Amino acid sequence: MVGLPGYGEAPISISSQPSPDMVDLCIKAAGDLTNALHRLRKGDILWVRGPFGRGFPVEEMKGKDLLFIAGGIGLIPMRSLIKSALSQRKSFGRLTLLYGVKEPGEVLFKKELKEWEKRGVEVNVTIDRPHPQWRGNVGVVTTLIGPCKVDELKTSAVIIGPHVMYKYVILSLGSKKIRGEDIFLSLERRMRCGMGKCGHCQIQSVYVCQEGPVFRLSEIRHLREAI
Amino acid sequence: MMDFITKKGFRNLAQGLIKDYVFYGPVTKDGFPAFSRIEEFSQLKLSQTPSHISAKGFLFPPKETLLRFDIEKGMAEGVADAEKQVLFGLHSCDVHAINLMDRVFSYGKPDVNYLKRRENTIIVGTECVPDEYCFCASIGTMTVDEGFDIFLHGVKGGFIARAGSGRGRSLLKKYASPSKTKRAALKELERLTEKKKTLFKARLDIDDPSLLPLVYSFADGHPVWEKIGAVCYGCGSCNNVCPTCYCFDVRDEVSMDLKKGTRSRVWDGCTLEDFAKVTGGMNFRKTRADRLRHRFNRKFRYLADRFKGLFCVGCGRCSRTCLVKINISEVTNEILRASKERPLAVPAGKSKG
Ligand code: SF4
Ligand code: SF4
Ligand code: FES
Repeated sequence: MVGLPGYGEAPISISSQPSPDMVDLCIKAAGDLTNALHRLRKGDILWVRGPFGRGFPVEEMKGKDLLFIAGGIGLIPMRSLIKSALSQRKSFGRLTLLYGVKEPGEVLFKKELKEWEKRGVEVNVTIDRPHPQWRGNVGVVTTLIGPCKVDELKTSAVIIGPHVMYKYVILSLGSKKIRGEDIFLSLERRMRCGMGKCGHCQIQSVYVCQEGPVFRLSEIRHLREAI
Repeated sequence: MMDFITKKGFRNLAQGLIKDYVFYGPVTKDGFPAFSRIEEFSQLKLSQTPSHISAKGFLFPPKETLLRFDIEKGMAEGVADAEKQVLFGLHSCDVHAINLMDRVFSYGKPDVNYLKRRENTIIVGTECVPDEYCFCASIGTMTVDEGFDIFLHGVKGGFIARAGSGRGRSLLKKYASPSKTKRAALKELERLTEKKKTLFKARLDIDDPSLLPLVYSFADGHPVWEKIGAVCYGCGSCNNVCPTCYCFDVRDEVSMDLKKGTRSRVWDGCTLEDFAKVTGGMNFRKTRADRLRHRFNRKFRYLADRFKGLFCVGCGRCSRTCLVKINISEVTNEILRASKERPLAVPAGKSKG
């Protein structure tokens, strides 16, 4: 939970490779708190509580191909995982990033995308609708899934994006036959405490702040309200 | 332990506790039973029917400061204020509710604010009579064996006083001159308890309430959610009055000079529109039907496994207070009717969710 006295707190995931000394936080100015965070200057104090909950099982993913599917600012937490994978590049098979945004201006980490490509990530970016300054793929992110070659037995797929995206991505992934245990999603919910008490993040019996935010599709497939 | 105290002993007990502690007990407010600070014995009006608002606020205040911060210095200190207090005149359902709240606030990372206050709270229960909304007998909360310091049952000539803790035993000795309970009084209590069972107008049509989580797990698609969702105001009153609703929001307040401030938690309610809404506008329980289904399931299903118990204690407060007469026992009976038409074939462990 990242906060500022007077503005409260919001759940923010780290966007760098986890490290005890330093983390990157990449935060979109969307509400009171996040706008105030954008006004901070070097030397100002930021308040942090946590970390809470469960992240990606990086160890378990070793030896596998990783298929990252990110929508919009979902690339921010995905970056943390991509960087972890790249720092141990040899431990993973193919790395593929499918990344969809609304318009070209919303593409994040442009430089890094190029760098990741050089270091062996297959990067495919798409924008929702045609745009004069765009020469790449056009269409929602699911359009990138079809052409993508997947070895269903050795692939872990990771999906992070706006809630609306999940249903469609999961449907499209259906044809790739990746097992539910190997599909990971990070769920966004309103959070106030991070400690399984305030009730805001609850999906049925599940507290996203504690048991998530990362879930396997097999864990939440039948959880009404989850996806 | 079953002691007997006379009416005079009762008076001495209450008076002693009023004098020596911050004392909250039942009074009559606008003609209804309510809990309030009591400073004189004459204000105490033991109520046989439930207070409209539960006593949870004395352990989990509607607004409570958690943190004081100094923005300039970049410092914050935790606040956990807890006076020694007495809650007097709680009914069996209320004590059951507190036992559930104890489990919630000590689960995982313990909540110091709640637990400290709980530790400093002396609980004295009293006997009750159901009104048309009470259905504790169907839930198994009509009597209570733990969670109180003293529990009082009115019988001829005085009260049978059960001590539920060492603290309760000493308080009885200190204030109420307890004596051994005569057999006749014990018989009378037994009779009264049997009689109480026959007084309920509201009940759940199920013999074994531990099956309710399973019954509810089949009811997500039941038409009752749309039906009650269509009339619900989304006002949150049911959450406010319920002794086991504990959801909260966290808010900051800053002094006029922007130098100091506090962080507090305030009651929140899952029936309110914004409860599950995130920045950007996505609302995970958009309709009132969604939110009521969530609230009812939280009472009968979602928390049952984790905290080993149903989260409804049958006090009927939510039904009593609802302006559009959404009634929790009637809704549950509608669901039960549907489950009887389509018998439950799936073993308990296989239920989804
Ligand atoms: S008290 Fe009644 S109207 Fe108000 S939110 Fe609860 S169910 Fe809806
Ligand atoms: S849900 Fe209603 S009847 Fe059940 S404990 Fe809460 S207020 Fe009482
Ligand atoms: S954020 Fe409070 S319960 Fe999860």
